[in-house]
Amino acid sequence: MRIASKMAAGTEGKRSRKSESQNEDEDEMEMEEEPDFSDPDDFVDDVTDEELLGDLLKKKPKATDGIDNVIVVDNIPEVGPERLEKLKNVVKKLYSKFGKVVNDFYPMDGDKTKGYMFLEFSSPLHAQEAVKMTNGYKLDKQHTFAVNLFSDFERFKNIPETWEEPEIKPYEDKGNLRGWLLNKDCYDQFSVIYDAGEKTAIFQNSQEPTKVEERARWTETYVRWSPQGTYLATFHQKGIALWGGEKFVQMARFSHPGVQLIDFSPCERYLVTFSPLTDNREDPQAIIIWDVRTGQKKRGFHCESQTTWPIFKWSPDGLYFARMNPDAISVYETPSFGLLDKKSLKITSIKDFSWSPTDNMIAYWVPEESNTPARVTLIEIPSRKELCVRNLFNVADAKMHWQKSGDHLCVKVDRYSKAKKMEEKDQLKYSGIYFNFELFRIREKQIPVDKVETKEQVLAFAWEPVNNKFAFIHGENPRIGVSFYAIQPKGKVEHLKTFDKRVANHLFWSPNGQFIVLAGLRSMNGVLEFIDTQDMTVMAQTEHFMATDVEWDPTGRYVTSAVSWWGHKVDNAFWIWNFQGNLVAKQALERFCQLMWRPRPPSLLTEKQIKEIKRNFKTWAQKFEIEDTMRKMTASKEMIEKRQALMSDFSKLKEEKQKLFEEQKELRLKLRGGVDTDAFDSHMDMEEETIEFLVKVEETIEE
Amino acid sequence: MKPIMLHGHERSITQIKYNREGDLIYSCAKDSQPNVWYSLNGERLGTFDGHNGAVWCIDVDWNTTKVLTGAADNTCKLWDAQTGQCVSTLETKTAVRSCGFSFSANYIMLTTDKTMGHPCEIFIFDVRDGGQLLSGDPLQKVSIPISDSKITSAIWAGLDENILTGHENGELRQYEMKTGDMLNTSKGHNKQINDIQPSKDGMFFITASKDFTAKLFDMETLEPLKTYKTERPVNSASISPLFDHVVLGGGQEAMSVTTTSTRIGKFDARFFHEIFEEEYGSVKGHFGPINSLSFHPDGKSYSSGGEDGYVRVHYFDQTYLDFRFEY
Repeated sequence: MRIASKMAAGTEGKRSRKSESQNEDEDEMEMEEEPDFSDPDDFVDDVTDEELLGDLLKKKPKATDGIDNVIVVDNIPEVGPERLEKLKNVVKKLYSKFGKVVNDFYPMDGDKTKGYMFLEFSSPLHAQEAVKMTNGYKLDKQHTFAVNLFSDFERFKNIPETWEEPEIKPYEDKGNLRGWLLNKDCYDQFSVIYDAGEKTAIFQNSQEPTKVEERARWTETYVRWSPQGTYLATFHQKGIALWGGEKFVQMARFSHPGVQLIDFSPCERYLVTFSPLTDNREDPQAIIIWDVRTGQKKRGFHCESQTTWPIFKWSPDGLYFARMNPDAISVYETPSFGLLDKKSLKITSIKDFSWSPTDNMIAYWVPEESNTPARVTLIEIPSRKELCVRNLFNVADAKMHWQKSGDHLCVKVDRYSKAKKMEEKDQLKYSGIYFNFELFRIREKQIPVDKVETKEQVLAFAWEPVNNKFAFIHGENPRIGVSFYAIQPKGKVEHLKTFDKRVANHLFWSPNGQFIVLAGLRSMNGVLEFIDTQDMTVMAQTEHFMATDVEWDPTGRYVTSAVSWWGHKVDNAFWIWNFQGNLVAKQALERFCQLMWRPRPPSLLTEKQIKEIKRNFKTWAQKFEIEDTMRKMTASKEMIEKRQALMSDFSKLKEEKQKLFEEQKELRLKLRGGVDTDAFDSHMDMEEETIEFLVKVEETIEE
Repeated sequence: MKPIMLHGHERSITQIKYNREGDLIYSCAKDSQPNVWYSLNGERLGTFDGHNGAVWCIDVDWNTTKVLTGAADNTCKLWDAQTGQCVSTLETKTAVRSCGFSFSANYIMLTTDKTMGHPCEIFIFDVRDGGQLLSGDPLQKVSIPISDSKITSAIWAGLDENILTGHENGELRQYEMKTGDMLNTSKGHNKQINDIQPSKDGMFFITASKDFTAKLFDMETLEPLKTYKTERPVNSASISPLFDHVVLGGGQEAMSVTTTSTRIGKFDARFFHEIFEEEYGSVKGHFGPINSLSFHPDGKSYSSGGEDGYVRVHYFDQTYLDFRFEY
């Protein structure tokens, strides 16, 4: 109640101050009697402290504060006072390597120590380190330390005695997750981020791209589709959210603060997330693998080395995943998430590895070392059998490119003619670099290898996703060429064609092969060239000025080119082309950032059925053409209706204005002195005149 | 058809105008010499000599007897259209931004810039009163307070009665000539209005703005009717007297042009359907932004003047004249 009276005093003070600056007339007010704020004698305080200053009480120090720094060491020798000093020295020596020991306490039983003791460190991190390193430490034969954090007692005490069966979550019908595939016209969907990331929308690539769904601040950075298109992943400060189904409802949430990168397993069962913020020595949390359907955390990993994402590479069926460590590849298996055969593959000085996109097969390469040549090896998982080894000499660098169909592997090898040791650093300087492609034919017996060599700088390489062709960009600006090769079945690599003097820095094959887009993105101003590689004809040469990205739709029917706000600040838009390079639609969006096609799962049709469809191509084409013209007609009908409405609205207004105009005719005539200037009187019906001038008269007299 | 290039200016064009009959084109530029040309063949008929600074605006009366120019040398000059002689010079405190003859050509109006502590002002003179022109004492003067947004474009509205002004903040206002009162105002655009042009019957007008759009308004109510969207600042817009078409000109701002290529600048004249707001064509040619453009009074040709110093006269092909929107 003291507070209440203080408050009263405060208001009183204020009032008197106010009256000073006011008129003297108010003196009467001042004379009024003060209300009595003191408690009556029989007053009982019924306000608890909790209610009054609950927020302060919360900050009250607790007995358990700071105990994270304290550890308990059990199984120390029981000694009398004469040897206590010696014991203390031994313990101090042992524990001071983990950090500063602030305090120690040896409980005594009479004059003997009790066989355990307490140590306080300056920081919980040191305490944790000490527990980890000295638990199980053998002081001598009889004494093996059992070390715990003091806070562990609290934690383990609270574990209930009886095991409770986890509750089975009721089954929730999330609807058809592949509903978008049922679209009658096979329209594909794509996600678009625009307005500088403020808005995310899902479009359907119908005649005109139409919005299916749009949400403000759906994601905080960008979005990712799962590999078969079932889920859309959005990024948030607190973790990842997955959306799917007809209406894009939330399917799952994965809490991982500060998450930056994610990767799905190809089967969509697992999600790998990476966050640089939350690693913890005890409980690895830099990389977490989740079960997508249950939302369960499967395993956490540390992330010590700086490598490129994805750190974990998945086998195509999602049964295994692997990461590269110094001098080893660690292959883990699902669903146990343990190391395969409990040990990593030892590969000294391994540089890079990758899975085949279709088989459980890993390709890796190791560089040259003293007398052993560089080596590219193919191994089978889980048997670890070496399928093929290729030795290479004079290797400066190598890069592996798998064909999407898993039929071929190309290793692009940068080779040198001379290597010089740099003086300051322990690095080699290479000169006379040339390039060759080592082409592995995976499907053939013993995996034969062919070789293609080029002297020019290779800027990009790409396999046709199916069939047997590959393309690469070579040369130096402005003399850039694009070459096409095909691998023939009997082991011959055939040069198909080279296009010279091209403006290109990226290659984009259609997902179904045959068609390719050569693109000169970013610094090359967005030049696009559509090529049919069946007969090597250029179907279209065009440009989307300043384009930053090109992406094929999953069916190979359309290509999008885009100018992203992340790369270029003006003219942000995406354009849709058909595979022949005809522009289908232009869509300008304010501060457009990113477009991603929704992937499709692999076709369920059998090889035979696909062949059947290809054979009846003509009848299908006819049917679709009729549909197309029908659709076009209705679309143009809609547009014409819209125009008619606009026109009739405006005509009304114009008629009104025309009336007004006629009413003013007299005034106009008056203002211009009676001359009617309403009609346009053209003086333009001029005729061209030919004017002849007499320049000179000459007379010659002939003799 | 190949355009006729009128190359008589040494610096960027600021305004071009046809006379009522359409046989002459008047152009002014940042050099001090306005020109007059035959629109038919692009031959230069003559120049108006006398200004000492960039000429910002030009107008010609309805029967092509007088020409009015306003310039950055703080003068507005009245010329004899036939001889090219300066008839009268009106001195102002700051640069003259826009000027124009009234419908009857009995009055002229001019607006000045807000600089050097002087406010932006509208002046109206009666041309018939020689004393007014001589003394520079106007019939009417409207002063826009310094704190307010200045006028960037102005035309006569409603024959001889009102002045329509476009402002730096995108506002449109109508002032009554006789009283100097503001009759109506409307927030037309988000950014500076660069140009205002009336329709042939004076019932509508089109504005061109730095906010990347041009808009069609009702002259009486200042109500916006249509919007034409582009990706660049619009410097000038004109309504076709023949079809339901409008043409827009503009492009990347002049100050950033040197750092960008012509392709990114979007310096083409762009044609929209007046009612459907759909863009249906564009004409390339200028290698700088278009500062001013105008339809010929017969609607069968148009001219554009650009930052590149050229005036280009385009005669439409037959295909344009035959082209009809389906509706």
